[in-house]
Amino acid sequence: MERTVTVVPEAGLHARPASKLVQTVNRFDADVSIGRADDGDEGLVRADSMLSVSGLNVGHGESVRVVAEGDEAEAALDAVCDLLSTAVEQNEADGGEAE
Amino acid sequence: MRTLEGIGSTPLSGIGTARWHRPDADLTLPDSSDPSDSSAVDPDAERERFERARDEAREAIRQARDRAAERVGEEEAAVFEAHEGFLDDPGLVDDIEASIADGTPAERAVDDRFAEAIAQFEAMDGRMAERADDLRDVRDRVLRALLGAEAADLGDLPDGTVLLAERLTPSDTAELDPDAVAGIATVTGGRTAHAAIIARSLSIPAVVGVGESLREVAEGAEVLIDGDGGRVVVDPDAAQRAAVGGASAPVVDEHVSTADGRAIEVAANVGSEAELAPAADRGADGIGLFRTEFLFYDRESPPTEDEQYEAFSAALEAFPADRVVVRTLDIGGDKPVPYLDLPTESNPFLGSRGIRLSLDEHADLFETQIRALLRAAAREDGDDLAVMFPLVSRIEEVEAALAVVDSVASDLTKAGIDHAIPELGAMIETPAAVFLADRLAARLDFLSIGTNDLTQYVMAADRENDAVADYHDPLHPAVLRAIDRTTTAAEGTDAWVGMCGEMAGDPALTALLVGLGLDELSMSAVTVPAVKERVAAIDAEAATDLAAEALACETRAEVRELLDA
Repeated sequence: MERTVTVVPEAGLHARPASKLVQTVNRFDADVSIGRADDGDEGLVRADSMLSVSGLNVGHGESVRVVAEGDEAEAALDAVCDLLSTAVEQNEADGGEAE
Repeated sequence: MRTLEGIGSTPLSGIGTARWHRPDADLTLPDSSDPSDSSAVDPDAERERFERARDEAREAIRQARDRAAERVGEEEAAVFEAHEGFLDDPGLVDDIEASIADGTPAERAVDDRFAEAIAQFEAMDGRMAERADDLRDVRDRVLRALLGAEAADLGDLPDGTVLLAERLTPSDTAELDPDAVAGIATVTGGRTAHAAIIARSLSIPAVVGVGESLREVAEGAEVLIDGDGGRVVVDPDAAQRAAVGGASAPVVDEHVSTADGRAIEVAANVGSEAELAPAADRGADGIGLFRTEFLFYDRESPPTEDEQYEAFSAALEAFPADRVVVRTLDIGGDKPVPYLDLPTESNPFLGSRGIRLSLDEHADLFETQIRALLRAAAREDGDDLAVMFPLVSRIEEVEAALAVVDSVASDLTKAGIDHAIPELGAMIETPAAVFLADRLAARLDFLSIGTNDLTQYVMAADRENDAVADYHDPLHPAVLRAIDRTTTAAEGTDAWVGMCGEMAGDPALTALLVGLGLDELSMSAVTVPAVKERVAAIDAEAATDLAAEALACETRAEVRELLDA
């Protein structure tokens, strides 16, 4: 299964959002890949790899395609899309990372 | 004993053991084993070494993360989470393990695979090149663990370290522990570079711009840093050793006046929350310059209104009875902040910076900052909050900034949020502001002269350019006259006039500045005790005469001669 989502965090898929994405993917029993929506299957890279994810160099406002397979594919997709469509500040508030 | 001359940057002395900071140094690998030799490598043992090294590196990254979170902030600590992500990247780890299984020694496998990733990132645009630096950082941690090399962790240097470096970046310097680092000496750099200013804020003795001769100082040598005299002494003798730490001025907590009773406020410049307590400890009468740029550096997005409110609150709490002057965001093309996407300008010092950016491209950031400031001004200890705008050159800018303050205040009223209007002032850094000082003083509560930029703009000499360093001296008569014109323009108005450039912290100039009519001097906290001691010994009338004589000088040499007399 797959979904397409617009990247909301200001920083795009770099640094913190990228490491959060990798951490999120690792929580699920699923193979998740990600790529620019326009780049088709060839643009997909493994979403559990910090190198691959940040190597995509996706910026704020770009559209990405997320593909997941496995037992928890749907839950993984939900979590990933949720992360990508939330600004960093809100992530923090939701994640309870106290200031 | 050998003495090297440099530029005294933090006027303190320290003695310790030389340690070179070489961020670019190669972690030299053992000679590349020739392929026929691969039988000598036990892949299982190598894989185990690699695992252990990764564990060690992970531990070190987590410690760095926690320390950054504690010293700077959660947001800034996030970069280390990314580092951990790189360290545990499954693709990378799989490739390295495969290479080890083929008989490659662990360090070679690590170095090769990282080199590939680094090259890949470097081939991409600017932001990705920064990621390449992150990868290098992670690679070096793993290699260090494999080779048993010691980490160049600047935040964790042994006590009594004298740090020697080609140059230090502001973030290197901000990482230093002032209790552990006895001094700093650099090959290049000037007194007004940002790293030098941070070292002063941290009260770390520093001599910069020593030149090539510094390179000859051996690792482990005993070195004395004389930040007052601008000297680096290798293998100091007993007398020099004994002199260290002896002669500094005592801390005076009370406000001071000249011998004949003119009150002079002696405040501190700070650039981070960590500098507040040391400033109070040194007896500063409040904060004359709270730089807000540090809130914006080394992170991925701008600080929120609440984060800024907390920072301003911390400053007010540190000085409950004294004034805290906050400078609104002062950035430009020379101080890159990645997420602000500032255009590269051919001449950033004459470009879109300071208040210009705040009223135009970054009006949103300015408004957020003003909201945080107006809320902080409503705190119980917020009466003494003051706000100043950097790089003012037109009255329209002041009008526009005041209009933002008004509109933010009315928004806050509508929202039912407590707020108050702090004292408002302008920085005098441009010749334009000097010429308009009378009008600025009539419209605002205070003026604060930033001598580093004022000198740069009056003398048309780039403060970062060593070739024109000679022009960059506030004792040039043209600069003194600009200061005099400013204080004179404010006479007869209610506005007070302060100075927050490096000039304000030089005790040898205190009498001249008092004579020029300044009400407040704000400086690196480390120089506060010496300046307070000086103020108390000054006769204000004699100082006025001294200033008049200085203003009559035609050359800097004459001014110097007058001051030395």
